[in-house]
Amino acid sequence: MTDFYQTGVITTLHQLGKPSLERLESELHGFAKVRPIALVLPALYSEFEGPAMPGIIKELAKVSYLNEIVLALDNASESDFQRVREMMAPIPTEVRIIHNKGKRITEVYETLARNGLDVGIQGKGRSAWLSYGYVLARGRSDVIALHDCDIVTYNRELLARLCYPIANPNLDYVFCKGFYSRVTNKMNGRVTRLLVTPLVRSLQQLVGPHKFLAFLDSFRYPLSGEFCMTTDLARVNRIPWDWGLEVGSLAEVHRNYSPRRVCQVDIATTYEHKHQILSPDDASKGLMKMAVDICKSVFRTLASEGVIFSDGLFKSLLVTYLRQAEDTLMKYEADAMINGLDFDRHEEAKAVETFTRSIAMAAQVFEENPMSTPLIPNWNRVIAAIPDIFEMLEAAVEEDSK
Amino acid sequence: MKTATFRSEVKEQLERIGQADIIVGIPSYNSAHTIGHVVRAVQGGLAKYFPDLKAVIVNSDGGSSDGTMEVVHNSSIDDFNAILLHHRVEPIAKIALPYSGIPGKGSAFRTIFEIAEILDAKACAVVDSDLRSITPEWIELLIKPVLLGGYDYVSPLYHRHKFDGTITNSIVYPLTRALYGKRVRQPIGGDFGFSGAMAQYYLTKDVWESDVARFGIDIWMTTTAIANGFKVTQSFLGAKIHDAKDPGTDLSNMLYQVVSSTFALMENYADNWKSVHGSDPVPAFGFEYTVGLEQINVNTARMLTTFREGLRNLREIWLEILGAGDFGEVERLGTQDDAEFHFPIGLWTRVIYDYALAFHNKKLPVEHLIKSMTPLYVGKTASFILQARDMGQSEAEAEIEKLCMEFENNKDYLVSNWK
Amino acid sequence: MEDFLDLILDPLTTLFSKFKVFFPNFLAMLVILLVGILLAYIIKHSLVKFLTAIKFDSWSDRMGFTKLMRKGDMWGKPSTILGAIVFWLLIIVTLMSSMNALQIPVIDNLVHEFFSYIPRLFSAAIILIVGYVLSGFISRGVLIAAANSGFHYAKLLADAIQTLLIVLILAMVMEQLQIAPSIVLAAFTIIFGGIVIALAIAFGVGGIDAARRIIEKESLDRQKDETPDEIDHI
Repeated sequence: MTDFYQTGVITTLHQLGKPSLERLESELHGFAKVRPIALVLPALYSEFEGPAMPGIIKELAKVSYLNEIVLALDNASESDFQRVREMMAPIPTEVRIIHNKGKRITEVYETLARNGLDVGIQGKGRSAWLSYGYVLARGRSDVIALHDCDIVTYNRELLARLCYPIANPNLDYVFCKGFYSRVTNKMNGRVTRLLVTPLVRSLQQLVGPHKFLAFLDSFRYPLSGEFCMTTDLARVNRIPWDWGLEVGSLAEVHRNYSPRRVCQVDIATTYEHKHQILSPDDASKGLMKMAVDICKSVFRTLASEGVIFSDGLFKSLLVTYLRQAEDTLMKYEADAMINGLDFDRHEEAKAVETFTRSIAMAAQVFEENPMSTPLIPNWNRVIAAIPDIFEMLEAAVEEDSK
Repeated sequence: MKTATFRSEVKEQLERIGQADIIVGIPSYNSAHTIGHVVRAVQGGLAKYFPDLKAVIVNSDGGSSDGTMEVVHNSSIDDFNAILLHHRVEPIAKIALPYSGIPGKGSAFRTIFEIAEILDAKACAVVDSDLRSITPEWIELLIKPVLLGGYDYVSPLYHRHKFDGTITNSIVYPLTRALYGKRVRQPIGGDFGFSGAMAQYYLTKDVWESDVARFGIDIWMTTTAIANGFKVTQSFLGAKIHDAKDPGTDLSNMLYQVVSSTFALMENYADNWKSVHGSDPVPAFGFEYTVGLEQINVNTARMLTTFREGLRNLREIWLEILGAGDFGEVERLGTQDDAEFHFPIGLWTRVIYDYALAFHNKKLPVEHLIKSMTPLYVGKTASFILQARDMGQSEAEAEIEKLCMEFENNKDYLVSNWK
Repeated sequence: MEDFLDLILDPLTTLFSKFKVFFPNFLAMLVILLVGILLAYIIKHSLVKFLTAIKFDSWSDRMGFTKLMRKGDMWGKPSTILGAIVFWLLIIVTLMSSMNALQIPVIDNLVHEFFSYIPRLFSAAIILIVGYVLSGFISRGVLIAAANSGFHYAKLLADAIQTLLIVLILAMVMEQLQIAPSIVLAAFTIIFGGIVIALAIAFGVGGIDAARRIIEKESLDRQKDETPDEIDHI
């Protein structure tokens, strides 16, 4: 991204020129003394066997400003867990691994369930949430950064740029979202390009100017899995455990803080990770499931802010969305042409069809049960219910790491 | 297995000598026009500073065709009175013999060690045969710390131009210092003093069929001495002026020889260096002085071109070795103008550590791996020259000190990634 | 009447006797097939285990095989893929030998030809593997040497050399497999000769000005850079 345009109500931090990572890291070193930084990594064991995680570890081995790294490991057996520990050893930062399938962490989840706290099913959302809890329990860090573990083009500059706005005490931001262009020989990031942006703009058209929609529309990449925040925010924010994680988190940020204290930062020139398959027929899998969850999350947030969703509104929404999406498609086609990228119009149109169906499905689910929420309670609420939960969580991770 | 010393005529010669207190070795190969001066300086030094001790000069030759050995035989100081107060009792014995084994400085040294062992020498010194600036004092400075100070190994200190010895200054010295914790400033100086016990210890090592015999002997001797806990010191010898090296040996070859030897030693002594933190100063003998800096001819623009061409062509290899983050930094350097070009020391430290790790993990064939570092090294050297252009000797030295501290501070990265 | 019965029974008895001869063969085929598949499975399994133990995967990462596989959109581990290749080869061999058990002349012939072809297949595979590693090694050596001397087109040169070597190796492989040997030879001669002639023409006629410019520039650069650096690197 080479322009310096400020989008919408939040601050956009661009990558201008070719800033030195050396300088960035040395500044972060200074900031970290005042505001220690924790890195949360929600990971699947399979990511350690693929090319992504070894590359990430190699880069993290050179990062020295972090205070702690919390790795929430899913889908790992006991021997996998040991192997992951070995693989993480080169990293100079203290690494704590939350072994989600381990018997101690399972017990933590069961304790929560016994006390009527629904933390949802296994997934990135739940992993991230528990990791925040652990960071809060230890109380050693003021800043939490999080990124996915399936990035195959990982560069530690990404982490430095992500942490910088929050770690720098001279900047008063509490939440920072990463953005980047997802371009290889074609444009990726279909859900953002063809669902979220057109949906948000259609809703703006239908319900008129709305603060949350304007907020959401300000993000260049609302679905990026990379963000950074203060621990205070992590304490009060609720996060969804489903695919609505990113949008739902943004909704919570919008609810708790002024947009002035939110920014987005250009973190990478190239970014590549594993892609979700399009599953036009199965609503419980792949892109379709993701799309449905995202739409539900948007509807729920708007409803909670007083927007009235009627049957007619949903019907209009489908039509408006389709028009918006088709227009968007044409914009991207032109964009692809001038940049010499492959553009499969048929594939893209098929994606739009799938997304249209997702919106309809999300609308139906929402109308049937508007109260159902995949939000995990925030940590303040959890502590009120189980005052000793932090000690228990800390002890569980401590024991596991022995 | 003994080598050259097995030959009957050498054996006879050695038997005639019987025992010696001091051995001075001069390895040579086609150095007929310089070795005469070196032999005379050594003779002078031995006569002047150790008149009462029995000394032998050993020229270990690699099969020179220009009559190097004859020159050694015929060189002697005509008028000892010019440098001596009193005459020496017995003449200094000279042995000139061709060594056997793999051609290289290491094999030459092996023969010298063997003779030192047979003659039961107390102290030894080795000096290069192409030295122009050697004086009799060098012998005193290399031998005395062993005889009187109880040191096992004496490494040289030179007065050099601030731009000279860049492989030493930017790779070998900082790395050796950070690894083994001893601040030996010229680990590959080429002129060393060592005790008889040290020479015998060297002979116990089974390295004479490896690259050590060919070209890695200097760093091998220094590292072996430090890593095995021998008492090490340094002596200030003054300026080192020697004949220009063979212009045919190109820079990447030089880099390959020096760096691969240094990295190979890391494998052997991994258990020793992993536990070392920080570094200790090594005492130094001799009177240190500085002289003016002559103008030196360097073309940094051409060096930077080499760096940028390397970046263009070797990006895949570098990306693989350095990882995305540091490669991005190197790439950023490629966009800088000549005037503002600056290779950060932190980045350079990680480059060297990453190459050491790649060597350890056998990511590429050794020669490819280390030669692919050449443009990076050239870039770093150009950056140092640009930075130190207006600096005095001590300021330039302070920059090297900073680099060393960076190597020491980042050592954890190397240790934790070495598996 | 009896004649008629014979007329019907005769073929049936022949069929039966033929079946009697055939059936044991068929059984043998089934047994060979079963044992073969089982054996192939076991060999594959132990091969993969063995390859993992000797760190074959990281070796092939270094040798560039993994990269080659990824280029061909194969995302498995090299050891698993090699295991699969061996498995299917064994299956084919099993299939062939089991068919041999049927003792049908036509199939016999086919099987015989197949087995006499195996050594060629094997040596072709060896040539391919060794050639690929070697070509990678040589072109990387050229790349590094050329880049270190500041040659602007180092990558291009290295790629060209690798391509030429691969063409050469493929020709050798084809020749080894005896796939249209005369055509391969002719094609190879034409391609190789063609490249040389194309270069000659390009430089001699089409690119004469460009060539002159390049040479002049080079010599100009040389002159400009005549003064050697006086730094002593060691």
